[in-house]
Amino acid sequence: MTAAGIDWTPLWLSLRVATAATVIAAVVGLSLAYVFAEHRFAGRNLLEALVTLPLILPPTVLGYYLLVTLGRQTLLGQAYERVTGTSLVFTWQGAVVAGLVPAVPYVVRTARAAFEEVDAAILEAARLDGASRFQQFFGILLPLARRGVVAGVALAFSRALGEFGATLMVAGNIPGRTQTMPLAIYDAVQAGRWEAASVLVVVLSVAAVLILLLVSRLGASA
Amino acid sequence: MLVARLRRLFRGSCVLALLCWSVVALFSGDGAAASQTPSPLEVAAASDLRFVFEELRILFEQQTQARIRLTFGSSGQLKTQIEQGAPFDVFFSANDNFVHNLVAQGLVLPDTVRLYAMGRIVLWVRSASPLAIDNGLSLLRDDRIRFIAIANPAHAPYGLAAVQALRTTGLYERVQPKFVLGENISQTLQFVQTGNADVGIVALSLAVAPVVRTTGRYWLIPAYIHQPIRQGAGVVAGSKQQARARAFLTFVNGPTGRPVMQRYGFTLPGEAPAQ
Repeated sequence: MTAAGIDWTPLWLSLRVATAATVIAAVVGLSLAYVFAEHRFAGRNLLEALVTLPLILPPTVLGYYLLVTLGRQTLLGQAYERVTGTSLVFTWQGAVVAGLVPAVPYVVRTARAAFEEVDAAILEAARLDGASRFQQFFGILLPLARRGVVAGVALAFSRALGEFGATLMVAGNIPGRTQTMPLAIYDAVQAGRWEAASVLVVVLSVAAVLILLLVSRLGASA
Repeated sequence: MLVARLRRLFRGSCVLALLCWSVVALFSGDGAAASQTPSPLEVAAASDLRFVFEELRILFEQQTQARIRLTFGSSGQLKTQIEQGAPFDVFFSANDNFVHNLVAQGLVLPDTVRLYAMGRIVLWVRSASPLAIDNGLSLLRDDRIRFIAIANPAHAPYGLAAVQALRTTGLYERVQPKFVLGENISQTLQFVQTGNADVGIVALSLAVAPVVRTTGRYWLIPAYIHQPIRQGAGVVAGSKQQARARAFLTFVNGPTGRPVMQRYGFTLPGEAPAQ
């Protein structure tokens, strides 16, 4: 608590959770986008539909799926708890998962479109010159498609930052530990603390605008 | 040529008319059949009443032919919703202070306010839990416990009572890092029922409900180690069905309501608390 009576931990927690979720979503999403853009294989459409699903499903449905797959009584949840010594539900790591799942499709869809825009002849030429798949991806595809990639990652970040429904179900709403900004705002309104809610709302709005401006500038100068 | 154009025009206007009609139909009234039947009595009830009020609703509807629609939430959440003009007819809080506060704001009718029950809290674990619950609150010192579920004390009276009980027993500082907060007392129970939290402090009225009783074990927390959970109710000032709202208020503590409330572990006005 500060002198103003506003607790700022939700802001730092939100930034940390959204950043972690975005980094993972970017790695997973770009790999998937590359696979979808450059490869034809059986079941590709089905896999693509599955990856896109979190974009369409209500967050509560995602929250339900996450609880029944990662809860402390599930096989996956218990395996995770045994390995890491901490559970996914009721922890900030759980909030990262809840933010990451709906963020991935933004990266996949935007980056895939950008990858497909890249002239196939350039990649073909690189391949003839002996460039490995790794070199093709990092040396040619990623730089040429950077605008789409950056836009996708920015969208993923804002989705992760704004995640509410699944987070509430999976991570709980624990002040100081899993209470992210959207949850803190909800909580303040529920408890009738309107001043605190309005301050948090303004801070989150300004932070979101600043981040998007920063990212779009990075995209333009990259 | 002209016939074809007229036909197209006709088809176009049909589609347009259909669209307009569906928009109007969607926005008028509560839904399709709502205009024929009288609107139900809107009851805002604290989540500890989730099961007992389902029973009372059926009994009241049989006796009076009136219909009731129940909305559950934490008392603080429901109070905020009433302040924002939520269309409730009657409010059953788990804390009578919320009702008195609404009276002071002119949002609840002062002459309808009454204490309708005293609540109790219990320690709750699910049947499969290895934790021995008969030792009472000292159980919470067990190192096997990772998460303890309580309702959010900021707006849920049962969560506040849980915090008070833990402070009285000197356990609060020790167990506080293990808290997970439910939005209301029934979500708190759900945390423990699913095994995501190891143990929880929930309302007795939930623990003894038929659908819950078989899924876990409970230990009654002594009433003297927390402030009494004084559950107050009142008719919302904006209600258009004040007579029926008053009737339901009386019904809950009347000859039909009393035995049902008692069966769910509530202490009723004029009774000595069970130990």
